[in-house]
Amino acid sequence: MIAAGKLAALGRRELGLASLLLWILCAILIPLILPGFLVYQISVALTYAIAILGLNLLLGCNGQISMAQGVFFAVGGYASAILVTHTSIPALATLPIDAVITGVLGFLVGIPALRLQGLQLAITTLGLAAIVPPLALKLDWITHGASGISLDKPDPPRWFPGNQDIWIYVLCVLGATICVVVMHRLLRGDAGRSFRAVRDNALIAAAHGIDLTKVRLAAFVTSACFAGFGGGLFALANGYVSPESFQVTLSLNFLVGAVVGGITSIQGAFIGALFVVFVPDWAGEVSPALAALIYAVCLVGLMLVARDGVVGIVRSLLARLTRTTIRERARALPANPNEL
Amino acid sequence: MQLLVQQIVEGLAAGAIYASLALALVLVHRATRIVNFAQGEMGLLCAYLAWQLIAWGVPLILALLLAAVFSFALGVVVFKCCIRPVLAASAETIVVICTGLFLGFEALCLLIWGPDTQAFPEVLPRFVWTIQGVRLTSSNVGMLIVLSVLAAGLATWFKFTRVGLGMRAAAAERDNSLLVGIDVPAMLAMGWGIAGVFGFVAAVLVAPHLLLSPTMMLSVIIYALAAATLGGWDSAPGAIVGGLIVGVAESLGASFIPFIGAELKLVVPFALITLALLIRPQGIFGVATRARV
Repeated sequence: MIAAGKLAALGRRELGLASLLLWILCAILIPLILPGFLVYQISVALTYAIAILGLNLLLGCNGQISMAQGVFFAVGGYASAILVTHTSIPALATLPIDAVITGVLGFLVGIPALRLQGLQLAITTLGLAAIVPPLALKLDWITHGASGISLDKPDPPRWFPGNQDIWIYVLCVLGATICVVVMHRLLRGDAGRSFRAVRDNALIAAAHGIDLTKVRLAAFVTSACFAGFGGGLFALANGYVSPESFQVTLSLNFLVGAVVGGITSIQGAFIGALFVVFVPDWAGEVSPALAALIYAVCLVGLMLVARDGVVGIVRSLLARLTRTTIRERARALPANPNEL
Repeated sequence: MQLLVQQIVEGLAAGAIYASLALALVLVHRATRIVNFAQGEMGLLCAYLAWQLIAWGVPLILALLLAAVFSFALGVVVFKCCIRPVLAASAETIVVICTGLFLGFEALCLLIWGPDTQAFPEVLPRFVWTIQGVRLTSSNVGMLIVLSVLAAGLATWFKFTRVGLGMRAAAAERDNSLLVGIDVPAMLAMGWGIAGVFGFVAAVLVAPHLLLSPTMMLSVIIYALAAATLGGWDSAPGAIVGGLIVGVAESLGASFIPFIGAELKLVVPFALITLALLIRPQGIFGVATRARV
């Protein structure tokens, strides 16, 4: 039993190590090999991945569903754009400010919605996602309405060998790495344990002294912070924000990305982000409706068949491959796909 | 004063539409504890079908009847294929699936009929009465009549028919109903089917005003969600009252609060939802639920 547990831990550690190596390899190779526009698209995907990480924390680890991840992303983006154009705060210093602003906003939204269960949260957040684009149009004295805000992308420092696109890419990689580390620390610690306890059985969690509302609110606020950070990074990487970038579909896209990648995994957020950035691109060449149709099939199909998305499928394949060598692992530990 | 009454009349008419879609949402929720985000888009698909039939030369009434039958079948099929396998799963799983259905039906309409708006024939006759300066159109009155007929029909169905009783039983006590010989899955499927028809009616009422387009139902479903939240997710009268309140509040808010105007109308249902959740989370007619252990 103990041996099996050790082997399981070893398997997971290897997977984590492999992901880390792959991450470093990709981070270095992508700007060297790929053309500029693809590097830009990947930078955008990385900012999406940060928002999806937040959604995974909320949906996968805490069992709450938010349709408003795009709202916090939009607020972060606008906050960065406004701060950069109106104040002398350095561009990168606006990112933590974004996270704080969206955290406060998440707190304000969460209080009414979190008193109830997932359903009401889904409805309230969907409503929120629907009013943000018209609100951004209406508040044109600060958001510049439909014409949006253009801002200067951060310039690379003198010692940096690449051009601006690559510098932005590096910033996105660093930002995503920070978020992954934060998420990893969070989930391995007490916070993550209490998040999962509330998800798995709220009554038992409450009996163990966990304040349900407090934990749910904490998860919601944290996920909003992630989205705000990602949104700010998006504004810097894109150099332009407008209501067009933050339609209701953005929130839905984040949900699609989370589900496709796997709602309980860190790696999944990145797979999901690449999916929602590149699939509409490719599918759009055939028909504008095709991307949404693919999304729909993925959402319904994956929820019915493979709840843990691509990462879940890869994990179960790996488990099947290694079953012959570490057979006792499968016997001793019933497959628990929900565990990170 | 005249403007106020006029706006209330307009609001009630719009509210009738929201109420019929909210009725569909409540029906589904009562039967299966699910909020079907895709209800509006399912109705939209059927409305497109009716439009296509009319364009092919089928008489209006026949086209609507055929589409209504199709909407019932669609509701049943969606339930059997996508919802039944996950009926016991957690709320967030089902929300994701319903979001998928929402995206899917919208994309399907876009794929088949394209992004252009289509003029949908006015189903209700056109008259205008003017009473002391307030314009009362027959379509406004007609919407309220359609809503009343739907509500009365539904109440009769649930109160006086055997199948209706079975559906109520299946919704209230799923396991025990099986023991007394009620075909629970069939009852739940029928709930989804009837809801499909209600969603279709809402789409047909909306279509002449907003013009048929793949994104037509997006705002309507948000109003309907607000209506159902306001009225209480378990109460059909609540859905109707909630729908009318949302309609009137939207109309008054848009014309009397300068900041809101026509662009920010969507803020009104959102504010109502938030208010309802803060003050009376179970809704006006709802019963406070106890957590299931």
